[in-house]
Amino acid sequence: MAKKPDLLPGTLDMLILKTLTRAPLHGYGIALSIKRLSDDVLTVEEGSLYPALQRLLLQGWVKAEWKMTETNRRARFYTLTAAGRKQLGVELSQFEQMIAAIGRVLQDAQEA
Amino acid sequence: MEPLNLFLKKLRLLVTRKRFGSELDEEMAFHRDQAEREFIDGGMTAEAAKHAAMRQFGNSTRVKEKSHEAVGFSFESVWQDLRYAARQLASNPGFTAVITLTLALSIGANSAIFSVIEGVLLKPLPYPHSEQIVRLFLSSAEYPKFPLNPFDFLDFRARNKSFESMAALTRSDVQLSGSGEPVELSGFEVTSGYFRVLGLKPQLGREFDWNAEIPGNGQQAILSNRLWRTRFDEAKDIVGRKITLNMKAYTVIGVLPPGTDHPGNDYHSLPYGESVDVWRPFEFEGNSSQRGSHYIEGIARLKNGIQPAQANAEMNAMMAQLGREHEGDTGWNVLVIPLYREIVGANQRMLWVLLGAVSMVLLIACANAANLLLARAAARQREVAVRLALGAPRRRLIRQMLTESLLISLLGGGLGALLAEGGVKVLVTLLPAGFPRAHDIHVNALVFAFTFLVAIATGVLFGLAPALQASRTDPKRGLYEGGRSTTGSARQRRLRNGLVISEVGLACVLLIGAGLMLRSFLNQLAISPGFKKDHVLTASLSLPQATYKKDADIARFYDLLMTGLNRVPGVQFAGAGSDLPWTGYDENAGGFTIEGKQPPPHQEFHARYHMATPDYFRALGTPLVRGRFFTEADDQSAPNVLIINQAMGTRYWPNENVVGKRMTFEDKPKDKDWITIVGVVGDVKDKPSSRGAEPAFWFSYRQQANPDMSVAIRSSSDPRLLVDSLRDQVKRLDPSLAVADIRLMDQVADESIATPRFSFFLVGLFAGLAIILAAIGTYGVISYSVSQRIPEFGLRLALGAPPGDVMRLVLSQAARLAITGAVVGVIVALGLARVLQSLMYNVSPTDPLTFTAVGLGVIAIAMIAC
Repeated sequence: MAKKPDLLPGTLDMLILKTLTRAPLHGYGIALSIKRLSDDVLTVEEGSLYPALQRLLLQGWVKAEWKMTETNRRARFYTLTAAGRKQLGVELSQFEQMIAAIGRVLQDAQEA
Repeated sequence: MEPLNLFLKKLRLLVTRKRFGSELDEEMAFHRDQAEREFIDGGMTAEAAKHAAMRQFGNSTRVKEKSHEAVGFSFESVWQDLRYAARQLASNPGFTAVITLTLALSIGANSAIFSVIEGVLLKPLPYPHSEQIVRLFLSSAEYPKFPLNPFDFLDFRARNKSFESMAALTRSDVQLSGSGEPVELSGFEVTSGYFRVLGLKPQLGREFDWNAEIPGNGQQAILSNRLWRTRFDEAKDIVGRKITLNMKAYTVIGVLPPGTDHPGNDYHSLPYGESVDVWRPFEFEGNSSQRGSHYIEGIARLKNGIQPAQANAEMNAMMAQLGREHEGDTGWNVLVIPLYREIVGANQRMLWVLLGAVSMVLLIACANAANLLLARAAARQREVAVRLALGAPRRRLIRQMLTESLLISLLGGGLGALLAEGGVKVLVTLLPAGFPRAHDIHVNALVFAFTFLVAIATGVLFGLAPALQASRTDPKRGLYEGGRSTTGSARQRRLRNGLVISEVGLACVLLIGAGLMLRSFLNQLAISPGFKKDHVLTASLSLPQATYKKDADIARFYDLLMTGLNRVPGVQFAGAGSDLPWTGYDENAGGFTIEGKQPPPHQEFHARYHMATPDYFRALGTPLVRGRFFTEADDQSAPNVLIINQAMGTRYWPNENVVGKRMTFEDKPKDKDWITIVGVVGDVKDKPSSRGAEPAFWFSYRQQANPDMSVAIRSSSDPRLLVDSLRDQVKRLDPSLAVADIRLMDQVADESIATPRFSFFLVGLFAGLAIILAAIGTYGVISYSVSQRIPEFGLRLALGAPPGDVMRLVLSQAARLAITGAVVGVIVALGLARVLQSLMYNVSPTDPLTFTAVGLGVIAIAMIAC
């Protein structure tokens, strides 16, 4: 099996926050959602997901509450907070700047 | 997010950590269940789905740990490590106790010695800008360090450009009487500006001015704070009051602040410290063209930016100029010595040697601890393998191991600090009498900081190698073999053997050091002192000039006292002399003429100058070599007579019969000015460690009176029983007289070898500690390797090897280590021996006897330890 590409470093928080803009999700849901939306290209390692969620909780960018799932099981659902939305904006614009910068470098390399 | 808010959140999570953990558990279980369900939906069997979900999720312990780290404080993991380490140590109390105690002993010893060094060497002297203060001496080939002539001093003070201020001092004890028992007080005569040089200001009143130096104006006194408190009830109106010193009235003009330390002096010396009670003005009496007598010592403060060497150059030029102006000033150089070096110089080397010795002990203890940890790490290989398999990063494992060793070393350090606190008190009592700055030695914050740092360094030093070693464990091998057959990699064995060799080597170095000091000490003990120190009581008396105006008065007093004392039952001989052996000496003796002899050019005749009563030598037990002792008949009406020592006889009358030879102190002697030598006595050195005895002579006390004499009484039983009789006899003759410095000659002799005894005692103690540690270390390594090779030995025995062979196998391993260690130790000691040279007496620092004995001894001890 070919190894899947790793997440770009520093993008996990952004992806989690973005995923939560649609609806509150539990950890498994977040991992699943990222996997599906990226057409199975991006896999979030559980080993990174849960520590990241704790970090976001601590920063106050998401909040968590225990709710029942459709299958009637207790799960912890994460909701984006106002601060989280703001942070997402910051991270998105930083990310776009970076992509644009990388793009320019690559472009230049091609032309040369 | 603002830091405070973050901190509070973290704090809340810290308190609800249990709930945090269980919620995380539930969340992760949910995640796995969901994944499992998905696999089943995808067509897997329940069993396969479960395994797949678990595999996909990965190391849940690690996820939890990382989640904890994300929200936890960084100290939390440290705290975890600490708790884990504490559990580890508690589960192995024997191991913990051995390491902790050996470390505590060695760290404590280091702290104790360091506190001595801190108090004596590192703490600045208690004078403002003390680095600017210097001592001034004269120097010639014959007298390397000589006091100044008062009129030379006046010229120095008037002409110099290097010094901000300059003063002179000379010891001059006084007797205080008036209210209560008369007491003899340590005193100095000082010129104006003395306290200014030291940067001290009187708490009450003022210091002496130039006026007080004029002959006749000197009836003034400055008191120590101690004297003011104990004798004068801190009277605020003390300044201006008259007190009685040496039976004369003096006006108090000042009181110094508490804790005023005397800077120490050379000539009739008092050690550095709060040892002086009365200062009086020095009066410049006499003829200023007479530059022959030297008895005051110079002290001065350099101007800003002037170095001692510059000042020294200026003073040398000035002295050369003075030599052209005055005949008596030729042939001298000036010594400008920084006060710090003057006070602690002699002991500096000894203290650094002691610190070196004690840090070697610590190194041995480190090697020991490292060895024990290594042995234990082998036993813990399985534990380490499990943690590695569970995904613990190696860095974290190393940290965990280091936390353990640091915990041990800090425990040891804490205990060590307690030991040091006690040890320093013992050390201070062991210090030789008059050791400079002894009262400045305390276990203070700096010492604690030192202890703490040493403990940390120790922990890292002995913990690092075992920690690195353990983290290199291969989890697979560790799990399968379970620490069972780990014969230890070659690297591990080399490390262990290296540690033992260095332990044995260091112990060897210390033992050689101790051996050399022991020999030096024994040599000093074995010196025939030239007198019999047992059964002799001594004391000093000082007759005030105001009461004893004429020489005849002084002679009569000592006459009556000796007669009285000789009648006391138990007294064999009672005598008095100007200077007791080994109590310091008067260097100022020269300028005599020997009948029929010419001194070599630029070398006048010189000798120690003393007075004695007829029974003085008998009381001390100094033998008569030739001629006779003084008798009652050697008085003013009889021809002048002299007793000399053997050293003087051989120096100035080699191969001649000295008795009957004559010498004189007059430039143009008449017949009655010639003094005849009537006896020769055995030599007594200035101090036990002096190279040889100096020439010396004694006047009959009736022909050359001296108001300050030391009494020596030889007793047929315990001389202490005579103390009251002595006091009674003195009181009967003069109730206003103080009897000072009551001591046994045994004590005097004891104090004079206190320094070699002190250094030998400590180095010996450290060496003893070292050899015990090294023996433990060797035993540990050998027994460990034996325990590992038991199956092999069993096999050998079963195959018919005689038990002696196996024994030989073990012993040869031990012997290899011990011999290598001893050889390394001897080589290092040969290199270091030069450092000890100046501390040795009559022992070569490469003394073959000591080296051989110690080398063999160490090997023997190592073998016995196995």
